[in-house]
Amino acid sequence: MPERYMKEVILKTPTKDVVEASIAHWHFEEGDKVEKGQDLVEINCDGAMYNLPAPATGTLIEVYFESGEVVEVGDVIAAIEE
Amino acid sequence: MMRQRLPVWLKRSLPEVSTLNTQSILDEHRLSTICESAKCPNRSECYSHNTATFLLLGDVCTRSCSFCSVPPGKPKLPEEDEPVRVAMAAKALGLKHVVVTSVNRDDLENGGAHIFAGTIREIRKLIPGATVEVLTPDFCGNWDAVLEVAHAGPDVFNHNMETVRRLYSKVRPRAIYDRSLELLARVKQADPAMITKSGFMVGVGETDEEVTELLADLRKVNCDIVTVGQYLQPLDRKMDIVDFVAPGRFVEIELESKSMGFREAYCGPFVRSSYHAGEVYERSHS
Repeated sequence: MPERYMKEVILKTPTKDVVEASIAHWHFEEGDKVEKGQDLVEINCDGAMYNLPAPATGTLIEVYFESGEVVEVGDVIAAIEE
Repeated sequence: MMRQRLPVWLKRSLPEVSTLNTQSILDEHRLSTICESAKCPNRSECYSHNTATFLLLGDVCTRSCSFCSVPPGKPKLPEEDEPVRVAMAAKALGLKHVVVTSVNRDDLENGGAHIFAGTIREIRKLIPGATVEVLTPDFCGNWDAVLEVAHAGPDVFNHNMETVRRLYSKVRPRAIYDRSLELLARVKQADPAMITKSGFMVGVGETDEEVTELLADLRKVNCDIVTVGQYLQPLDRKMDIVDFVAPGRFVEIELESKSMGFREAYCGPFVRSSYHAGEVYERSHS
């Protein structure tokens, strides 16, 4: 049985002075396969939309924030099982 | 904080190059930028290219315009060494086109014009090859203050109209449409060779006809460059976005502007008056 690792998806924003962003849209649902670098979630901050890429290839096992929720930079917003 | 899904044309990429170099130079010289104070959506792109628009005269404003996130408050006395610090930071960033703006300083008799003028002179001294663009407030119609800045000889004198005539009371309640136009007219009269520039937002409830009227008014005062961008609510408590203007409409406004005789028009959802200002200035000469 291969070892499995959990990769946290952490909210990042374009500049360090942006301290929060809102989750606008998840491109995948829990249970979906994702590839490292694929657009995973759309966030809004300072009037623009950004896509955060998946940090690892694996299964999106948990999404901690739904669309519309405001999240602080550095918060874990999802988990991927590699 | 915008909680709805934004239209696809407002999608941006996360910067691939760090913005920390710009930030550390600004911090080292104790300077603010309008990029950060106004929560400009372009700043990660600009900072990653070592570009920023300096905000003179503090980071609190004596006005509280409905669209702007610069916090209102009682500002401190001007720092007389600020012009030198801006010039040093501009040199450290390697800027060839330096853009400086300020908060409104209605508490000062001259609105802080001497700091603008001093900054232009210090940049000229320290970076002789650089061009300088100022984006000024209206100085409450103190024309001596306006001319003090103009006589310091910036390459571009920008004063933003921000919106159409009908929406001034909503968007810029302490400004006067005709006073802002007169400012641009007086700068042009003082030095007909000086490039004048203005900008405004769309998506705040204006009609197409009102946009045409504003462009025509700017041409009547021989304004050379116009910039037009989408209003993006910078904070929840700021005025709502009325509509998201599609990219095609910006193309129309740009074409209309050029047909009316502007030397350059730069219009797009993310366009702000200082965005790509050096390139816009260059194009106005070609």
